[in-house]
Amino acid sequence: MLRAALIGAGQIARQHLSCLKTLPGVELAAICDLSPATAEAAAERYCVRAWFTDHWAMLEKIRPDVVHVTTPPTSHFGPAIDSFNAGAHVIVEKPAAPTVEELETLVQRAREAGRHLVEDHNYLFNQAPQEILRWIEIGEFGAVIHVEVLICLDILGPSGFADPNAPHPALTLAGGAIADFLPHLASLAHLFVGPHRTAQTVWTKRKPSPLPFDEFRAVLDAERGTAALCFSASAQPDAFWLRVYGERMQATANLFETRLTFDRPRNVPKPLHPFFSGLEEGKTIRRAALATLLRKFKEPGAYEGLWELLARTYRALADGAVPPLSASHVLEVNRMVEALKPKKRQL
Amino acid sequence: MRVLVTGANGFLGRHVVGALLARGVEVRAMVRPAAHLGALGWPSSVEVFTADLRTSGELRRAFEDVDVLIHLAAVVSGGEDAQFAGTVAGTERLLDAMAASACRRLVLCSSFSVYDYSATGRILDEDSPLHLVPDVYTRDGYTIAKWWQERVTRRFAETNGWDLTVLRPGFIWGRDHGYLAALGQQFGRYHLVIGPLTRIPMTHVENCADVFALVAADRRARGQTLNVLDGRGERIWTYLSDYMRGSGQPGWRLPVPYWLAISLVRLAYATVFRTASKVPSILIPQRFESRLKPLRFENRRLRETLGWTPPLDYQQCVVRTYGPATPTAAEPSGAGALAVLNSRFNRRNRFSKSS
Repeated sequence: MLRAALIGAGQIARQHLSCLKTLPGVELAAICDLSPATAEAAAERYCVRAWFTDHWAMLEKIRPDVVHVTTPPTSHFGPAIDSFNAGAHVIVEKPAAPTVEELETLVQRAREAGRHLVEDHNYLFNQAPQEILRWIEIGEFGAVIHVEVLICLDILGPSGFADPNAPHPALTLAGGAIADFLPHLASLAHLFVGPHRTAQTVWTKRKPSPLPFDEFRAVLDAERGTAALCFSASAQPDAFWLRVYGERMQATANLFETRLTFDRPRNVPKPLHPFFSGLEEGKTIRRAALATLLRKFKEPGAYEGLWELLARTYRALADGAVPPLSASHVLEVNRMVEALKPKKRQL
Repeated sequence: MRVLVTGANGFLGRHVVGALLARGVEVRAMVRPAAHLGALGWPSSVEVFTADLRTSGELRRAFEDVDVLIHLAAVVSGGEDAQFAGTVAGTERLLDAMAASACRRLVLCSSFSVYDYSATGRILDEDSPLHLVPDVYTRDGYTIAKWWQERVTRRFAETNGWDLTVLRPGFIWGRDHGYLAALGQQFGRYHLVIGPLTRIPMTHVENCADVFALVAADRRARGQTLNVLDGRGERIWTYLSDYMRGSGQPGWRLPVPYWLAISLVRLAYATVFRTASKVPSILIPQRFESRLKPLRFENRRLRETLGWTPPLDYQQCVVRTYGPATPTAAEPSGAGALAVLNSRFNRRNRFSKSS
């Protein structure tokens, strides 16, 4: 039985806690938050016996095997280091650290302690990217030439990132609120084309808000192909497009939904290809529309990737194996994130 | 006497400030940094303190020379976690600051949502059962946040030996806040009126503010928990009619007996949604009941404890809500304000019963 504990019982913590309650061989042992009410409420809701407002006290008393660090983005470092020192593996929300240097320190400390550091790159484990990977691995897709990842998300509303009354913690990251999404963009690009070699970026601001930037574009040259990454706070409706271009197939997915379509060579005359492709795509999209509607009634919903990542991670830890996201993977993704951040002249 | 009011520029807060001024009380109004205060018409005697309970580090200064805290601030929009963080964690930070001050008197604005309607029989009053753990976590984000806010406040008051009064207003209505969740379900121009003869537990914002101003100074209120209602409440059918007429939004009212609606909701929940973890609020029986269950609502304790009667009756409230714009907060409320009101508006206007 692995004993899990969580530090930071805010919004994303709910997904970690809900998932942990479903995992076999896992005991959710304690929750910690600076706000006593927040910690106690989470403990009551998830039937956890112990709650704390001091993470050192929790680590000392509970001695967890795994600690989930779900505090605001720039405050992961301290609790993560302390958890390694207490002998725990750490699953940390993205971005794991505000700089690569801090992340390298975390990875080094994890190695010294003989523990694992897993950053939450949840979208890699959504069904759509996993299905595309499967086609690649069985050789049907062909080599990946290019990947596009595009997030359209209105983050300019008065609550959340653009709250005019209380600055969101993510605004202290280089790039502001968009930097909170860079690990998603980078991890998906890394999944299909590998570590980057060069990156060119454009950071702009279209609308007045407390955010330093609300639009982002990047083109990457990577070891196995190229990638185009984009975040737009103005393009609507909200969507999370993933397009992968292979030598023989192309895949399109909206990760906010369950939609995944493939275009592939067909045994029909070339002029008829668009017709049959359209028919198949329409059928797939209709099915996905229903599936997307039904998943709104059930957990994990859009967080299916996080649940899958946690399930695989705990299985690996229980078996003494390497988790599905290794330290070298996390470092490579974060080096890509670093390359995507606005340069000094853009700030 | 100096009173610190949190959420002072909110829907209720601005009227509480006005009611306190009318009673000659000094007011320190806590507002958030991005608040626009120009339209409120506060006199220069109102001391504005800018802070956000979630993040501000200077909350202790807000309590300097303050005798009473009236805590109205709450986050009523956004997701469940945002509401909890703003309302509950914000209250913790505020009361931590109060604990370091000389202020010993506190009036909390709680809510009817803390009552467990499903476990309540025919009459809902201050002795009715509250939500219990863990059942409270099956309720909506607003309910969880307000339930926890009251819990946290009572703990602070007990630990520090403060004089606490908890006021639980029903549905607060007034200008630009005429539509209430108790009215049923709206689909475009159609209003599904569930239990049309059910009475709404309601208080007009100016009457409600009058109670807060009274309680701040009245020793009889100390240690009390009081429901704030203007009276028995209007029937949903009548109130909706006044709303549609007053707001100039004509529509069709479709009556549905409460027993039929709740039976359908229970059937749907038992057969389709029981295993679902995310269901629209209106389709969860307990949440449905907390909006629409036909109960008798009592304000007897408020009347008997303080001898309070609402300064405005229902027809006057309708005029204040849907008629021409009314005086600003700096103008006196209560009987004085009524005299002003009556001289301005003809009693036989289209909202009165005699029209």
